[in-house]
Amino acid sequence: MSTTFLPCGEYHQNYHEDHAWWQTRFIKGKMIALMLMLFIGIPYVADEYWLSVCNQIGYTALGALGVQLLIGFCGQVTLGHAAFLAVGAYTSTLLILEFPWPKLLLDLGLAYPLSIFIAAVAAGIWSVIFGLPSAKVKGFYLILTTMAAQFITVDFVITQYISQIGGRGQAFSLPPGTIKIGPWVIDSDLKIYYMMIALVIVLTAAVLNLLRSRVGRAWVAIRDNDISAEVMGINVVQYKLFAFFVAGFIGGVAGAFWISNLAAISPEHFPWFWSLWLVGVILIGGVGSIHGTIFGSIFMVVVMELLQMAVIPLAASYPKLLMDFLFIKEAAFGLAICAFMIFEPNGLAYRWWQTKNYFNLWPFSY
Amino acid sequence: MDLILMTLATGIMVGGIYALVALGWVLIYKCSGVLNLAMGEMTLIGAYVSLSFYSMGIPFLASLLIMLVIGFILGILVERIFLDRLIGEPVLTVIMVTVGLSFFFKGTLEFIWGTDTRVFSPPVFSIEPIRFGPIIIGSVYLWSFMAAIILLVVFVCFFKYTRWGLAMQATADDEMAALSLGVSARYVYAAAWAIAFMAAGVGGTLLGNINGLNISVAYLGLLVLPVVVLGGLNSVPGAILGGVIIGVLQNFCGAYLDQFFPGGVKEIAPFAFMAVFLLWKPYGIWGWERIERV
Repeated sequence: MSTTFLPCGEYHQNYHEDHAWWQTRFIKGKMIALMLMLFIGIPYVADEYWLSVCNQIGYTALGALGVQLLIGFCGQVTLGHAAFLAVGAYTSTLLILEFPWPKLLLDLGLAYPLSIFIAAVAAGIWSVIFGLPSAKVKGFYLILTTMAAQFITVDFVITQYISQIGGRGQAFSLPPGTIKIGPWVIDSDLKIYYMMIALVIVLTAAVLNLLRSRVGRAWVAIRDNDISAEVMGINVVQYKLFAFFVAGFIGGVAGAFWISNLAAISPEHFPWFWSLWLVGVILIGGVGSIHGTIFGSIFMVVVMELLQMAVIPLAASYPKLLMDFLFIKEAAFGLAICAFMIFEPNGLAYRWWQTKNYFNLWPFSY
Repeated sequence: MDLILMTLATGIMVGGIYALVALGWVLIYKCSGVLNLAMGEMTLIGAYVSLSFYSMGIPFLASLLIMLVIGFILGILVERIFLDRLIGEPVLTVIMVTVGLSFFFKGTLEFIWGTDTRVFSPPVFSIEPIRFGPIIIGSVYLWSFMAAIILLVVFVCFFKYTRWGLAMQATADDEMAALSLGVSARYVYAAAWAIAFMAAGVGGTLLGNINGLNISVAYLGLLVLPVVVLGGLNSVPGAILGGVIIGVLQNFCGAYLDQFFPGGVKEIAPFAFMAVFLLWKPYGIWGWERIERV
């Protein structure tokens, strides 16, 4: 998806303007309004329930960002991203629970932020290990190796071995008060919300900047045709592995963030379903577009919540519906992906782009 | 020694069922180029349908036949409604549609039949194990293996000797040439899906007879992916050989590695083996090597 057209009658006069983050004053104002809405508007308006929905959207978006980077910008299809979320979540949890943190760090509330960082790096390295086959195989074969990553990591290593640490068996529970950033104990939906917004904005900006750089251009070249990219002098393997690292890093942050929202963490939080769900999110949002990641997450989470709301009144007469809601959700997700692939293969971001262009070119569109 | 032989025999027999399901997968891939990730759910549908008819009191073979008819219809419907519109779309799109289908099937199945394990009752095959000298094999395995072999032979004959089968082979070989000779690609695609659905259904029914039927049988359907990668994506003999190899590998891992790595090794081994195997031979045993040009 190319960039949006400038509004009718506006022209860039130097390179500085052409490469600017916010190309017009209108966009700058719009973004500031968006920030105000995110930081003040939504927390002011939304109640606990909708805040938790927002947190889910943020978590989905963080997870999908890495998938978007791999699939949408580097062309490496992954169906095992939940594994890296799991690695992030488990590393962070284990660090918080088992690591002998110095008193000073605990008092300053730096244990959790540091553990997020370490978890992200660990997930990135884990992701690179499973990205190594991408040096030799691609397309469907790569999909299979990423699936292998999911099964090996979550169903085998974590379920059978990591979960046994400390003799707890299945789930690790985080005692209240352990998740602490600086002076704030993360214990309410509102605090999780602020943390989520900060992480989403920082990581999205980081990825967008990365995509504007040499690295991003190399990734796009590899996506479009890896053989020509190699001919042009791009070290394909190195950049592919770097894409895996960044995607795993973001996934690790997402997983480590999400433990603040979970009372107990178990392998069931990271099933293969979740990997596929993340891919579905970016397909519905639009492949190869950062907007698409956010739109897709909003769409999927909100639609599922609305579906749940629709089911609740029906459940009075058909109690089976509520009990089996999980299954309805699965079937609806499947149908939604099929419908989007068939009727709107460019995703929601494409519609957004069209709408913006319509207004930018108005009244003199060609 | 006995244990090795027994594990080998069981592995080969389970591998026969995998080979049957893998045959359907390869058929779809060869004919229409669709990489199908919904195979696991397709096995489940067939298994649940035949189980429902069987528990109504209909004889096993008759319920199997009904299942074949329903599988045929479903296969054609799925191809007509979903896959037909996607001809010529990028690979990821098609794969994700099959993923979407698998979720749709799975959700619907769980909604209708629930998640509890169901068994064929009364048992179709006798519980008495069969002895060949020192080797003891459950009769379920033996009968399943025989059924799988019979069906494999039927499928191979179908492809070799009937007009329809030859048309499908021609399309798989060179779609353009087949089209110009008057083969209707649309019918061939539909037929491929119908046959794959039927093969998967039989495979699922047999697997359901071994351990009882619940949603995790779909995982056994996923095993078809290592199987086809091992054999090469577009090779029918490769699918059969891959099925047997994976079956044997799985049973050996279950028998020998489980004591060192408790739990789960049996489920993971095929995928781990596949990931390593891909590095060594990216196109499988008999797959076509694709030469890429800019």
